[in-house]
Amino acid sequence: MARLPPGRHGLPREFVAHNQRERLIAGLAEAVAEHGYAGTTIAHITRQAAVSRRTFYEHFSSKDDCFVAAYDTVMAELRRRVGEAFDQEEEWPQAIRAGIAAMLGFLSAEPHLARLSMVEALVAGPVVVERYDAAIQGLVPYFSAGREGRPAEVLEGLSPTTEEALVGGMVSLISRRIFADRSEELPALLPDLVEFTLTPYLGSAEAAKVARQSDAAQG
Amino acid sequence: MASNSTTRPLPGREPLAREFVTRHQKARIVNALAEEASRRGYKAVSVADVVRRAGISRSTFYDNFSSKEECFLAAQDFAMSAALERVVDAAGEIEEWPERVAAGLAGFLRYVVDEPALARTCMVEALAGGPASVQYYEESLQAFVSLFKVGRDVSPYGEELPETLEEAIIGGVFWILYQRLLLGEVDRIEELLPELVEFALTPYLGSGAARQVAVASINKLAS
Repeated sequence: MARLPPGRHGLPREFVAHNQRERLIAGLAEAVAEHGYAGTTIAHITRQAAVSRRTFYEHFSSKDDCFVAAYDTVMAELRRRVGEAFDQEEEWPQAIRAGIAAMLGFLSAEPHLARLSMVEALVAGPVVVERYDAAIQGLVPYFSAGREGRPAEVLEGLSPTTEEALVGGMVSLISRRIFADRSEELPALLPDLVEFTLTPYLGSAEAAKVARQSDAAQG
Repeated sequence: MASNSTTRPLPGREPLAREFVTRHQKARIVNALAEEASRRGYKAVSVADVVRRAGISRSTFYDNFSSKEECFLAAQDFAMSAALERVVDAAGEIEEWPERVAAGLAGFLRYVVDEPALARTCMVEALAGGPASVQYYEESLQAFVSLFKVGRDVSPYGEELPETLEEAIIGGVFWILYQRLLLGEVDRIEELLPELVEFALTPYLGSGAARQVAVASINKLAS
């Protein structure tokens, strides 16, 4: 994937050792990967982070509080990568392709963080579920941008909820791979997702062409 | 759902699904769980909440289910089966595939409007319900997938369509409905029919033909 920075950019590694708060967040990600959100205790987190229980409570009021911080950190990173990849392309269809590739690349390279953000977020309760919904709805503008400059007959075929439905479909495909512990399959979804999301704007044939281009570009 | 409940049916003119629910003890319990879960999330619901809402004793609950988890799986199964039944009832007789999809979707939306809590359980809460629930969710989606896959035979793009298309369409429809349920816009869900029909059919038929079927679906709804 040419558009992704080379090498493994594991968030946990980036977190580590900078400060205790970041260590605790990384510790939570590891603990949740091992025990699931429901099974994770504060002792698991502090053990992973190698800090004391008292230190934990200096930074967070509860496990939920720490989870929310971890979720926000992961999503900020994901948003940053998707935004950068999108912005690097001149043409909208290619920008969509690059953004999706960046998302799939990040989630497959970081299966623990993928699980935390797409699976455990749903288990963790109402506070995170709201954030989860907002994050997904936050992808809508990338697709709405595709309306610009389309001919009238194409615009007529788009409804107010087209983008929401595309985003929902895309996320459901991604989440289900992560649920099934098959994150490594995510990059292979790229052509399908590109074709699916571009079809309403470009028509099936043109969307398939961009999807196949992306295949070739990956080599 | 299999049930050897002895609860007597209530008389009256309630919708079919309700009647079914009141007739069967198990169904009444799963319905109570769905109501509670849609209020505060599955995780926060206790057996005591379910027992209170269902108006049964704790021991009756445990006569029927060994745990909250087992009850939740039953709720999911009840909701998915009922939703699928609505889809098949609505779509079954129609010959042309695009119109069949439109009718099936209309049946599904009606189910969501009639039973928002149960619909939410099988579309949303299922993913927070643990591995068995997720597994069940995955399997039940396949039933919807196969209803859509027929479209490949009538599509001019037939074989070229992405392998995951049906999954993505169903995911998209569920997401839209989930957002409306979250926002408390149950009353407006049926208005979404033409949009969802168009969304679902466009990859198979192209935008123009999909739109025609979508427009016709509104007229059918009105008539």
